[in-house]
Amino acid sequence: MDTVIDVTDLTCRYQQVEAVTGISFTVAEGTVFALLGPNGAGKTTTIRALMNIIRPSSGEARVLGVDSRRLGRSELEAIGYVSENQQMPRWMTLADLLAYCRPFYPTWDDTLCRKLVDDFRLPLDQKIGRMSRGMRVKAALVSALAYRPLLLVLDEPFSGLDPVVRDDLIHGMLERAGEERWSVLISSHDLEEVERLVDAVAFLDSGRIVLSEPMTTLQGRFRQVEVTESGPGPALGLEESWIGATQTGRVLRFIDTAYSGPASDDRMAAKFSGARIEVQPMSLRQIFIALVRHRRGQGQESVQ
Amino acid sequence: MRLPFSVDIRPGRPLHDQVVFAVTKAVVTGQLAAGDAFPSVRALSQELRINPNTAQKIVGTLIERGLLEPRPGIGTVVAAWQPAANPARRASLASQIDRLAVEARQLGMTLSDLLDAIRRAWK
Repeated sequence: MDTVIDVTDLTCRYQQVEAVTGISFTVAEGTVFALLGPNGAGKTTTIRALMNIIRPSSGEARVLGVDSRRLGRSELEAIGYVSENQQMPRWMTLADLLAYCRPFYPTWDDTLCRKLVDDFRLPLDQKIGRMSRGMRVKAALVSALAYRPLLLVLDEPFSGLDPVVRDDLIHGMLERAGEERWSVLISSHDLEEVERLVDAVAFLDSGRIVLSEPMTTLQGRFRQVEVTESGPGPALGLEESWIGATQTGRVLRFIDTAYSGPASDDRMAAKFSGARIEVQPMSLRQIFIALVRHRRGQGQESVQ
Repeated sequence: MRLPFSVDIRPGRPLHDQVVFAVTKAVVTGQLAAGDAFPSVRALSQELRINPNTAQKIVGTLIERGLLEPRPGIGTVVAAWQPAANPARRASLASQIDRLAVEARQLGMTLSDLLDAIRRAWK
């Protein structure tokens, strides 16, 4: 499968501060990829470098096969970009805005545009400046989806929006689900929203990539484990892939980062013989919190 | 558009398995009957707010298991399914039943409590 985004050892420095340090990740064509991380982790900087809004200090980002520093008209015609702090002409009505955008994009699809405006219940005659934040994000998404871009880039699209608007946005963004060669890069710190939507994630923390992998392997290998001993507390012999271990009385809790199904169950059963062992899958949010805590406690190595 | 089956997606468990389970349940209980139209990949993705590739895989799995059938030009419909003769899945079910029995006893349930619970789930 081709890659639509290929980031290699990218560093972005603002004066003395490194916002992003030597990050690498790839987004495969036809997938939804999420860049996740707490506020200030470097998500927006990364996206701005990808969109050629800022110049990387070193390293390289290739977007649709082209160095981000050389993104030109033909690439921008194939990219839909919506950011949290999008500047939009406040004096224009939505109809004006769409009419203004249309000539820039040979692939503009009036039918799709009308459908999105209807689905979002947006008033065409209302000035952008008089719209609520939710309506403005919807308007921005319409203007970014109507030309059927190959790559949709969404920077924190949901932040500060109410749940109904978020839900509408996701519905709209999935308008093109099922079409081939449609790729999405989405940055967010709203993990519940993203969990169902993505094929792969990269976790950014303090400007570095903590991990980057497909959702299926990530959710396959993380398990929350609770061991309740019937006798005195278990002899602590933790494996290296077990993180965040705590012991309270007879209960030992930890997170297995390399769970592999029955083989792991058997190993734990042998290690804690006679104990009651509960193994629970984890949500993206739980995984994320566990990883960030682990890193804060352990220094800044990556968790493989 | 609404989906012709219900599913309550819980975070943490593979989406694919949760939706495949919900559809299988709707088919075996007769909520979905042979010949009924099944939503397109796009409708599935949009209605459940799930990843399109996952929606695609869900439909693929259901076709492979003989519960759905692609009809060129129409879309996907519910198949006239036959009980699957699958020894591997039977063996896996047997081990799940084993665990179920042990877990129930540990929780102090009687055999008739457990059978009642199974009867309720069966419907």
